[in-house]
Amino acid sequence: MELELRGITKRFPGVIANDDVNLTIKTGEVLALVGENGAGKSTLMNIMYGLYHADEGQIFVDGNPVTFETSGDAIAAGIGMVHQHFMLVPVFTVAENVVLGVEPTTGLLGKLDTAEANAQVRDISGQYGLHLDPEALIESLPVGIQQRVEILKVLFRDAEIVVFDEPTAVLTPQEIEEFFNIVESLKASGRGIVFITHKLTEALKVADRISVLRRGKTVGEADPAEIDEIGLAELMVGRPVQLVVDKAPSQPGEPILSVDQIHAVDSSGRTLVDHVSFDVHAGEIVGVAGVQGNGQTELVEALTGLRDVITGSIHLGSEDITHATPRDVHRAGVAHIPEDRQRAGLVGDFSVAENMVLTRYHDDGFSTGIKMDWPKARAVAADLVEQYDVRTPSIQTAAGNLSGGNQQKVIVARELSRDLELVIASQPTRGVDVGSIEYIHSQVVKARDEGAAVLVVSTELDEVMALSDRVIVMFRGRIVANLRRDETEHNDIGLYMAGAKEQPVKTDAETTS
Amino acid sequence: MTDTAIDSSNDSDGDHREGVIRRILARIDTTNAVVLPLLALFGALVIGIFVIALSDVDKLRAGDVEGILTTIKDAYLALPNGAFNGWRAINETIVATTPLLLAGLAVAITFRAGLFNIGGTGQMLMGGMGAIYVGFSMDGPGFIQIPLGVLAGMVMGMAWGIIPGLLKARAGVHEVIATIMLNFIAGSLVLWLLKTDMFGREGRNDPISKLVTPEGQLPRLFGFLDRPELRAHIGFLIALSAAAFFWWLLERTTLGFEIRAQGANSHAARYAGMKPGRLIITSFAIAGGFAGLAGASEVLGTQGRATQGFAGDIGFDAIAVALLGRSTPTGTVLAAFLFGALQAGGQKMQVTTGVPVDLVLILRALIVLFIAAPLLMKAIFRFSSEAADSGPSFGGWGA
Amino acid sequence: MSILGVIDVAEVGFQPLSPAILTSTREHLTVTTSDNSQGENMIKTKKLLAVAAVGALGLAACGSDDDSSTADGGSICEVTDVGGVDDKGFNQIAFEGAERAAAEFGLTAEVLESASDADYETNIQSFLEKDCSLIVTVGFLLGDATATAAAANTDKQFAIIDVGYEDAIPNVLTLNFATAEPSFLAGYLAAGMTETGKVATYGGINIPPVTVFMDGFANGVTYYNTTKGTAVEVLGWDFAAQDGSFAGNFENLDDGKALASSFADEGADIIFPVAGPVGLGSSAYAAENDGIRIIGVDNDLTVSNPNESAVYLTSVLKKIDEAVFAAAEQVVVNGQGGGAYVGTLENDGVGLAPYHEQADDVPQELKDEIEALKAEIIAGNVLVN
Repeated sequence: MELELRGITKRFPGVIANDDVNLTIKTGEVLALVGENGAGKSTLMNIMYGLYHADEGQIFVDGNPVTFETSGDAIAAGIGMVHQHFMLVPVFTVAENVVLGVEPTTGLLGKLDTAEANAQVRDISGQYGLHLDPEALIESLPVGIQQRVEILKVLFRDAEIVVFDEPTAVLTPQEIEEFFNIVESLKASGRGIVFITHKLTEALKVADRISVLRRGKTVGEADPAEIDEIGLAELMVGRPVQLVVDKAPSQPGEPILSVDQIHAVDSSGRTLVDHVSFDVHAGEIVGVAGVQGNGQTELVEALTGLRDVITGSIHLGSEDITHATPRDVHRAGVAHIPEDRQRAGLVGDFSVAENMVLTRYHDDGFSTGIKMDWPKARAVAADLVEQYDVRTPSIQTAAGNLSGGNQQKVIVARELSRDLELVIASQPTRGVDVGSIEYIHSQVVKARDEGAAVLVVSTELDEVMALSDRVIVMFRGRIVANLRRDETEHNDIGLYMAGAKEQPVKTDAETTS
Repeated sequence: MTDTAIDSSNDSDGDHREGVIRRILARIDTTNAVVLPLLALFGALVIGIFVIALSDVDKLRAGDVEGILTTIKDAYLALPNGAFNGWRAINETIVATTPLLLAGLAVAITFRAGLFNIGGTGQMLMGGMGAIYVGFSMDGPGFIQIPLGVLAGMVMGMAWGIIPGLLKARAGVHEVIATIMLNFIAGSLVLWLLKTDMFGREGRNDPISKLVTPEGQLPRLFGFLDRPELRAHIGFLIALSAAAFFWWLLERTTLGFEIRAQGANSHAARYAGMKPGRLIITSFAIAGGFAGLAGASEVLGTQGRATQGFAGDIGFDAIAVALLGRSTPTGTVLAAFLFGALQAGGQKMQVTTGVPVDLVLILRALIVLFIAAPLLMKAIFRFSSEAADSGPSFGGWGA
Repeated sequence: MSILGVIDVAEVGFQPLSPAILTSTREHLTVTTSDNSQGENMIKTKKLLAVAAVGALGLAACGSDDDSSTADGGSICEVTDVGGVDDKGFNQIAFEGAERAAAEFGLTAEVLESASDADYETNIQSFLEKDCSLIVTVGFLLGDATATAAAANTDKQFAIIDVGYEDAIPNVLTLNFATAEPSFLAGYLAAGMTETGKVATYGGINIPPVTVFMDGFANGVTYYNTTKGTAVEVLGWDFAAQDGSFAGNFENLDDGKALASSFADEGADIIFPVAGPVGLGSSAYAAENDGIRIIGVDNDLTVSNPNESAVYLTSVLKKIDEAVFAAAEQVVVNGQGGGAYVGTLENDGVGLAPYHEQADDVPQELKDEIEALKAEIIAGNVLVN
């Protein structure tokens, strides 16, 4: 089977998401579709999967023009999609999830034939080395295995072309390796794979062909054998980029942040942060690595006053901020770049100017207790937009209308443009274009060089490794490793992240010295 | 970090509730703020034609098409006529607009804070009772009694409005439940008060209050014309001032900034160090104050006495007003004005054509329905491509 | 109507569901009595002129050759309260009276509905600007607005239902009903018919327009006890304490069912609900449980609620339509405004409905006693309070 997208154009109000895009996918090959966030990858795939309809252009299957009114039509044509966010019923078994919607039944009443479903699932699972137990409950499975259930769902529906949307975002390095093996076996079975990603190393590693999208257009096709990461990044961004963070060796000073045995639980009493202790010194960047959902989010919440801890203490210098409010923490000189900018960091409906003072409107002369000083706020916002290179039509533009990178720059500008003791940056470059990543990283390093203590939390191991002077690894709410960056290898951290390895208890003094 | 009750309640239902309001407001936002309400009005009037035709059973049976068309024409001519043509019409439009605007602001402020205020009726009732007490128990001078009466109405409304705020902030009680229940309580309380010697009028065994003393009545707007039937009063000016205050509060104050942030993105507000509990309580207090003013304006101005029904359905119509006005100051004023004009015109229509005044209620409901259903509008008026649903359903691109 | 559920006190006890009302639904708000015969028209026009003259209406413009002269000939104009004209309640009954009077006297009946309390004034004002021979305002909610308008327009005639002004207004005719009288008869009847020795009553809300029925009922039972030396007990109302059982609203049929059930548990076999539609809940209970009988209120429920007609012993009637008709006759035909109409047993403005299906059950002796008692009340020999 050969699927061809020819001249696809898709417009949304004010924006052209796809502009005359051409793409061909054949069975038996892996096509990587790379591009920055907002380049139009997802829109294109949604058109291919029948979720959106193209304004112009045509889809061809084996040379015949087709129209996908719904995703059902696309599935019938042999296209399967594994979404970034899984669509599984947690209380159902693997087999039940797989057959959902196309259940084998027995008898007049259409009773679900569990034995048949289990057998079919076991059969396909074995065929592609998915190692799935049909009777396991979804909620009991790790994320990596759940992804395989999604893959099996697609195979069960006889997909000949399988689309993966950012499949590695939620996986540990080891799980990513296993995932690549599965991709290989799918390819070997004669299926076509579309692999959407913004991680260039992965595209280079697994793809037979690479298609690059930039601002809605296909800007090039590359052979992985003939292009390297730098070249690909240039193609993707449209200009030379620097992939390595340029920073001098750290000059750690006094401890600024001292965390001692803090413990936090959720509303049902489940442990989220498990007796965590560490220090961050002035002039150093400490990176927190870990697979998403291992307590990093809650750790940051505890540090910034958004979540109360049950035991333990948090000190900023000599000040006890264990039970401080978010505002107290802010006033003590802590910058907080939150992990989800749209959920917490910005008010999308607010203008850039309003967002620039979101955490600061109550002081810095922006208000006189009751009344806001908007002229001053706008003046400052205009300065910051200039200074931090925020690309916005005006400071009155709604922040929600900016690109991810520019939204993040607004937050970075707001949070870093004052005297700081500590910077807490959570997922600072998630969903941000390459150009902005460079810029944000340089700003974080600049804050360090100016003497602030910096804590960077990221699920992108590359980012942690690139930025940090020291690396903390979290697994199931605990710190399982506290390592000096220059003495640490990628793979080693991967083992800690997966919980396969744990560092013997060590004091901070030993790691920082 | 002190009020953990809020944290837990927000965790459980905050996302969902806020999502609903935001979706509603976002949908309203998607198309031009002026065109959409006009199209909605147009759509409602078109459907209204059928309602009028169907309600005229006699002519329908007789197949008197011409007669039906005449009725429709007369009815629709009577609407603008009764709303704007002459002092009497303008006066009635103002009378109807005044409480709708004040109560509309009471709903709008909570919408802006991401909350539902279904309690406008109860807040109006309690505000009205506070105002009426000053209104009948004092006998001038007017320049003291009137401000005092209005203030009493506002304070009582705030006191009643603050209850659901406290319940939500401190105990996690959903404000929709709390406000509805408080409406019942206020209704019963008013009934009881009107039967007491303190409020009830001597010699009347039905629940009705003493009359506002002449000095305590809100001065009439058109007093200079010496036409007693022109009953519009300075409550209208109070309402316009309240709308101006609402604008100033939202756009110029730190509190307004916090309320807007809380309403637009409660997570961001919390992240930014704002105190959700305090904002919930404050928003409801202000809402109660607006609704209390509406109650005061009704009893001290329009009606001159309190009965148990003086608040009518205004507290609920106000929700439609706030929705239609997208909870902005200008929008709420215009929406209240539209509803007020429809109401005044409806009275005229009833008088001149005999078409039931219920038609106006149907028109109002249809307008809100059209506003709240952009996809329906899209289907009817053929909006361009995905304009109407671009907001919510459209996450894959542009992030 | 509203989530608040504002209790419409005005609807107390005026909740008939007569088939007549149901079938004569308001097809058109303006009822014109039109005739084809030119001769009749002439007569009518003359009559109208007479009417106009006595009604002190400036009706100079009425030409005899105008076919639609009836529309110009003055109207009986009703302003409803917030219940609306099709409330199957007193707004509607009042309008039926107005329509009947209009037909009889060659006038037009018109109505303006009030959507809220704020509409009363403006609706009355609208009628003042029209050509109304009589403006009928329905319910005590309109008491103030009517008084104000009447004082400001002494040349216009008004009639108001269920309101009595302390100081009579010359151009307002008040229409009230001595509902205690038929209730007294109903109490006597119930005491005579009970097999368990217990009867019951309850109200919608504890306000005088409701409790006056309950007073009459309880006193009727007491009178029976005194006369016959029996000890029939009244549940649900203590005349001395002026307190008893109330549904707390006039809408919820379930409350009526629950109250009937608890009265039945306590041994009562005849129940007199004074709570509008809530009473229909009690009727439903009686229909499902043998041995329980209901006394209807306001109009003849045997007729207006035929599905459960078997449960009604009788009904206490409050004839609002008669009152409106009488008001129209007095003001428009006799040209006499103002005054106070009180519907009594004597003028048949209130009364007991026929026994209908229960006629055979009620002993002739008791029927005779009731008739005698009615005469005594009319004669003033028996005081119902």
